[in-house]
Amino acid sequence: MSRLSWIKTALEVGVVTKKYPFERVEVPDGFRGLPIFDSGKCIGCTACANVCTPDAIKVVNDFTNGFRRIEYRLGKCIFCGRCADVCPVSAITITKEFELAYTGDVINAIEIKFIKCVQCGQYYTVSRHLKHVSSKLNDEALEGVDICPDCRRRSNINSLIHASGVFR
Amino acid sequence: MRSNIILGRGDLEVIEMLNKYLIDKIVGIRNVGDGKLIIDVKPNNLVDVVNVVTDKLGGIFVTIVGNDARSIDNSFHNIYVFSLDSLKTYLLIRVKLDPESPKINSITHIVKGADWGEREVRDLLGINMVNHPDPRRLILPDGWPEGINPLKKEFAHSIRPELNNSECYVPLRSDDVVALPYGPYHPLLHEPEYFELHIKGETVVGVEYRGFHVHRGIEKLGESRLTYNQVPFVAERICGICGFVHNVCYCQAIENAAKIEVPERAHYIRSIILEIERLHSHLLWLGVACHILGFDTGFMHAWRIREPIMNLAEALTGNRKNYGLNLVGGVRRDINKDSSARISKLLKDIKHEYDRFISSLTAVKEVIRRLEGSGLLPKPEAISYGVVGPVARGSALKRDVRVDHPYAAYKDVSFKVPTYSECDNMSRLMVRVDEVYESISIIEQLIDRLPGGSILAENAEVPEYREGFSGIEAPRGEDFHYVLTGRFSKVYRWRVRAPTYNNIPALKVMLHEVPLSDAPLTIASIDPCFSCTDRLLVFDVDKGKKFKVSYKALASGWKP
Ligand code: SF4
Ligand code: SF4
Repeated sequence: MSRLSWIKTALEVGVVTKKYPFERVEVPDGFRGLPIFDSGKCIGCTACANVCTPDAIKVVNDFTNGFRRIEYRLGKCIFCGRCADVCPVSAITITKEFELAYTGDVINAIEIKFIKCVQCGQYYTVSRHLKHVSSKLNDEALEGVDICPDCRRRSNINSLIHASGVFR
Repeated sequence: MRSNIILGRGDLEVIEMLNKYLIDKIVGIRNVGDGKLIIDVKPNNLVDVVNVVTDKLGGIFVTIVGNDARSIDNSFHNIYVFSLDSLKTYLLIRVKLDPESPKINSITHIVKGADWGEREVRDLLGINMVNHPDPRRLILPDGWPEGINPLKKEFAHSIRPELNNSECYVPLRSDDVVALPYGPYHPLLHEPEYFELHIKGETVVGVEYRGFHVHRGIEKLGESRLTYNQVPFVAERICGICGFVHNVCYCQAIENAAKIEVPERAHYIRSIILEIERLHSHLLWLGVACHILGFDTGFMHAWRIREPIMNLAEALTGNRKNYGLNLVGGVRRDINKDSSARISKLLKDIKHEYDRFISSLTAVKEVIRRLEGSGLLPKPEAISYGVVGPVARGSALKRDVRVDHPYAAYKDVSFKVPTYSECDNMSRLMVRVDEVYESISIIEQLIDRLPGGSILAENAEVPEYREGFSGIEAPRGEDFHYVLTGRFSKVYRWRVRAPTYNNIPALKVMLHEVPLSDAPLTIASIDPCFSCTDRLLVFDVDKGKKFKVSYKALASGWKP
């Protein structure tokens, strides 16, 4: 093999460098790019925020104004796609978008209304999540889902005391 | 099923040997898996035990794991990891140290490779290494306040202590030796590391290494903020080239600790991606080696051949790097039929291109002459430093974790472990050249035999306070992760030892008395990965003098 073989190879292979960004570069299916959140589908369950390694998804509970905000920060995202894996309602889609360089911080937020406890009137969970969970429960288990954990505990204790007959 | 009772491979033999030589020194013994033994010894017996392990059992030093276990059994632990290659066993020697003023005899005079590990635990855990030859810090910066040890549990991961104006490092100054800075920013070093080459005329007579400029405290982060399944995503960011090895290694360590049975198919997929990573990494290195030798044509072609491998990784995992593939218990993505066919075809193309590349490369005499006979690392030194990967195999040391401590699907494939005995830069190059062929063959075998079934263990639970560890043959050599599980789905201790950590100290030998022009190539011959390592070598140069200057003075424009 002589060193002329380098020239032969070069001639055979030709130019391989792409003129990116003037020429588009296609990424394959299954590429993990920008995650997009569907605010219509999201039920505010916070599963995505729990698995997100870099804390790109943050949950803000605003009990005064009555909503939960799921915030997504592009600048922190490592495009692992774990959030889409765990979302119970497939509200997150991993897209092929990868040209995301930006000097500022991009925050997308979904706001979901809290629901009030029918007994004490305090906000206690997000309505959509409650609906989602309720749709999976039978009638018996559904009893008391519209009251907050505090009130439920209180009424449970009350009924226990009642049943024990101590205060008859 | 791997269990505590079943002894595998060389275990019985090892236990026999331990019985014979160390029976009176061992206070506890535990088998944490196939070929994985942990023995407890009294601190004052450590030096004797290490002597026996290296002399009689053929142990090669791997690393030291320091652990602040005061909240568990009111002591600090130092675990000395040795690989008994021929017995296919990892032997961990644990000493428990005083919780108030932990101290232990240094073993650096027996195994040179322990130098860094000992200084690291001294820096990060405040364990006093009695009789250690080098009093300087390894990891903590010069201005870091005395007495603050970041891996102690009371130190919160978010704390940034005020650095003081302590004296900071200045290059050597002497009349007949010139200190030539190579780094921390240098066109041929792609990461910030500092080599100070001491040269007499044209010859390198000594080298001083200062690293850990990009120490990111990843172990601390994993121990304090992340849950079991979040760590893999950070682990693979330890390295920009071979991150997947850290990712697999961590998961295997947890799986070992929790005795999780990983589906066969997941093992195969891990091995396939590991070999794909080796392919692209070795081609990257071959390109860089050409570039350093001024042969940019070779560099361009190596990287051209590498590109389809990157595309393949992207198609299989969703990204060129940072594959995000592993979770504890398996993998997240399957390889379908189409992909298997694509892989097979691509491997054929690459083999063809690579053949042509290698025969053209070896025809360039200038390249070969530069490589031959430079950067010598004799075998005994290689053993004492515990070097790993192509650096070890280029010094006639036949060690490869895939064979010595099989993991994932490597027990099911056959492949050669190329070794060369010239111990020079050429040897190390040839090891990598041959390994590319082996990797191609391994992937072909794995694709052929890919078993069916699930890819992720169901309901994998991780119990509290269990130990596990794992080694992996990364492109640069043995990667080692140790974990001790903790509470609330978090690791209590996660120790990472990247391959380059064991290879850099041996540069002291490789660079001795080489012409200056060979130094960059020799440094590159270990395929250093500094980010991984970050996680000093001294030469007695005759009449060498050192000066110190304060940080303040430097900041206000101090000049020599
Ligand atoms: S893709 Fe990963 S990093 Fe990004 S938001 Fe989802 S879970 Fe977080
Ligand atoms: S996991 Fe899905 S449904 Fe739950 S908060 Fe995230 S986006 Fe919304």
